[in-house]
Amino acid sequence: MRVWKRLLWALLGIAALAMVSYELSQAGVRPVKLVETGLLAMTPLALAAVGECINEKAGVINIGIEGIFLITAVVGVYWAEVFNSGLIGILMGGVFGGLIGAVLGVLSTYGKADQIIAGMGLNVMSLGLVQYLLMAIWAFPGIHIFPRELVVPRLSLPFTELRISPFTLIAVAAAVLATLMLGRTLLGLRIRAAGDKPEAVDVAGINVNHVRILASALGGFLAGVGGAFMPLGWFGGLVKEISAGRGFIALAAVVFAGLNPLLALIASFIFGYAEGVAFTIVVTPGVKEVIPFHFIQMIPYLLTIIILAIFVTFRRFPNALGKPYIRE
Amino acid sequence: MSGEVLVEARGVVKSFPGVWEHLILDHINFDVRAGEVHALLGENGAGKTVLANILSGFYTLTSGQIYVRGKPVHFKSPFDAIKNGIGMVHQEFTLVPSLTVVENIALMLRKHNPLSYPLKEVRERTLELSERYGLKIEPDRLVEHLSLGEKQRVEILKVLYWEPDVLILDEPTSVLTIDEARELFKILRRMAEEGKGVVFITHRIEEIMAVADRVTVLRLGRKMGTFKVSEVGKDELLRLMIGEMEPVRYERGRSVEWGRVVLEVRDLHVLSDDGREAVKGVSFEIHEGEILGIAGVSGNGQRELAEAITGLRKASRGRIRLMGLDITNKPAGEIAKLGVRHIPEERRRMGVVEPMCLAENMIIREYKEKTFSTAGVIKSKVITEHSKRLVERFKILTPDIWDTEVRILSGGNIQRLILARELWKGPKLLVAFHPTYGLDLKAVTHTHQHFMELRQKGAAILLISEDLEEIFLLSDRIAVMLDGRIVGTLGAREATPEKIGHMMAGVGAS
Ligand SMILES: Nc1ncnc2c1ncn2[C@@H]1O[C@H](COP(=O)(O)OP(=O)(O)OP(=O)(O)O)[C@@H](O)[C@H]1O
Ligand SMILES: [Mg+2]
Repeated sequence: MRVWKRLLWALLGIAALAMVSYELSQAGVRPVKLVETGLLAMTPLALAAVGECINEKAGVINIGIEGIFLITAVVGVYWAEVFNSGLIGILMGGVFGGLIGAVLGVLSTYGKADQIIAGMGLNVMSLGLVQYLLMAIWAFPGIHIFPRELVVPRLSLPFTELRISPFTLIAVAAAVLATLMLGRTLLGLRIRAAGDKPEAVDVAGINVNHVRILASALGGFLAGVGGAFMPLGWFGGLVKEISAGRGFIALAAVVFAGLNPLLALIASFIFGYAEGVAFTIVVTPGVKEVIPFHFIQMIPYLLTIIILAIFVTFRRFPNALGKPYIRE
Repeated sequence: MSGEVLVEARGVVKSFPGVWEHLILDHINFDVRAGEVHALLGENGAGKTVLANILSGFYTLTSGQIYVRGKPVHFKSPFDAIKNGIGMVHQEFTLVPSLTVVENIALMLRKHNPLSYPLKEVRERTLELSERYGLKIEPDRLVEHLSLGEKQRVEILKVLYWEPDVLILDEPTSVLTIDEARELFKILRRMAEEGKGVVFITHRIEEIMAVADRVTVLRLGRKMGTFKVSEVGKDELLRLMIGEMEPVRYERGRSVEWGRVVLEVRDLHVLSDDGREAVKGVSFEIHEGEILGIAGVSGNGQRELAEAITGLRKASRGRIRLMGLDITNKPAGEIAKLGVRHIPEERRRMGVVEPMCLAENMIIREYKEKTFSTAGVIKSKVITEHSKRLVERFKILTPDIWDTEVRILSGGNIQRLILARELWKGPKLLVAFHPTYGLDLKAVTHTHQHFMELRQKGAAILLISEDLEEIFLLSDRIAVMLDGRIVGTLGAREATPEKIGHMMAGVGAS
């Protein structure tokens, strides 16, 4: 399916959300508030989705984004407290995410591991690990509140009433840079070739596994920034199920985007905005009484399933996606 | 021809333990000298590709030693071979389908800054090379939209681009036209004159006679000898390659009375993958007992025509009838059930399911029929028998039929598998694209005999090939396709290679 068709679908989604927003504004919700929440919720999704576009282009599927989110959220807060800086915390989240991505890359190239199983393993392991870390570091089960100053402050966008996080801008920049890198550099060429026809990279005298590990580490880095952003740029607190399935929503955005980073950004915005709308609805008087709270909370996940069902079949994924490269 | 030895293999052994019991290469000595073209000859599965892959670092050897300019080397990857100036044109293309031609060539730039993008430069030089070497390409098309012949040209250009000292070419001429092959030979000779070494693999002895200085013959992993081409006869080479001589003449047989019209194509229009009109209003019919040959440079709409007939591609306009029945845009499975068989252009991509075994590939068309399954459960005994019979009859070299993926078969043996599957039942209509692509001489003769038998039995055959010789040998009528149209049709008797050649080049002589 071509890019413009996906874009059309995306516009459809945006139109639907705009209608809901209009209804909400009638109920007294300020639209600016909706957009602000939407952009915040978009940020981790977009970062991870853009990263996943890169590693999937190279032929590595990482379904362990959820796990990376969870782990780097904890790791990020830990380092933020150590250095007394949210910024460093988020950066450390990125570094850890990159490390996890690199390990996954090594496993799925030199280790010839099944990437789905490795990713699933990461997700399952992180569930336990996070609880353990919370206990081990802060000696308190399931939740940790840190000083307010650690949350990275938002900037007010000129000419608007919007206040957005610098990391939202970074997410947008990441999507643009990833597009340029994939489409306009030799490195991008190698990444795309490694996913579609690794033999071609190999006979050019370039190590397929290195290209894939690099892409996987890049993907992990971006997911890690997204994971640490959740407590340090958005919630201002840490709970053990902090990512609440957002890792899977990011994967859905990638499938919808057909591995196009800019489309992944748009899809992330739609998902994020939908989440923001759901948030708002459950607290808006006059609306919350009409629509059951659990139904609303279900919407982003439902949307994920529907989108996956529609778009998975439309996509021509890289030929060697998920397959380790074996020469002989 | 006493040039320096550029690359030498000494006592090279290659085995695939657990797959093959015998050695794939059994203590092979082989060398390439500066200033020579050294041909490799051997039947399908003899080990030519494996040897070439070892010399280019793609496969590792089991034992033995490689020397480059006298120094022992250990190739762990193609990178090591590239560093030593060895480049290879692979039999199974190494092109990225989702990238354009230029992007595929730019992939070879190893030393540039990975964040740079010198595409313009690459594009210019590619065009220059394509001009200089007479290998026509369209630089900005996606490789997945190219025909086999076009891909072959790109694959060759890709390696020429970085000017290796030793160039290995694995069956580069199978899908080139005679003119293109001739141009290629000029390039090879020129490279030899410049003091480079060329290894050239082919099944066509005339090509060896025309271009090579020495020839090495392999037979089932053993070396039968290395000879100066000037000192060895064609028959001698044949004998060494095949064993005892057997008459390699085929019988054209009685001329067959044409029966009813089997295939009727009327004003057919078909789009290519990138949405261009590839077939622009083609009409013809084929009768029972007739072989219609379609000649033409690849990429002139042949693939789209074949795929429209077999139901793999939608026709945008026009009608296709089989025995009077309208089959336009019917699903491929339905058309196959009516007795249409297809030997596709790209054997590995379209002809087989590579990760499946031979037995499964054999019944992929008929597995639902009662003979091979009951209520969805496969009858493995019957299938084993069936596959064994076909392996024997078509002489497919395979370690077994259930346990190994067909991916590991040699190119020619994959082709035999496809021929076996498509021919055993005796189709009503056969759409054959390069049917003898990559087959050795003996197998080519067998296939031609098979085609003649089918024709005798009243099958209609659409033969699409760039190999004019084959077209002339088999066809009752010859049509020439150029730019999506049939520019002329001649009866076998009135057609001459000159006339057809002119028509193919578009020099209008009909
Ligand atoms: N990766 C592999 N694993 C197991 N067997 C292999 C592998 N690659 C090649 N072979 C086997 O080695 C033998 C020699 O194969 P090779 O491809 O060298 O033949 P070839 O001489 O090039 O034949 P053709 O003319 O058909 O291309 C074949 O029997 C093939 O099945
Ligand atoms: Mg071969």
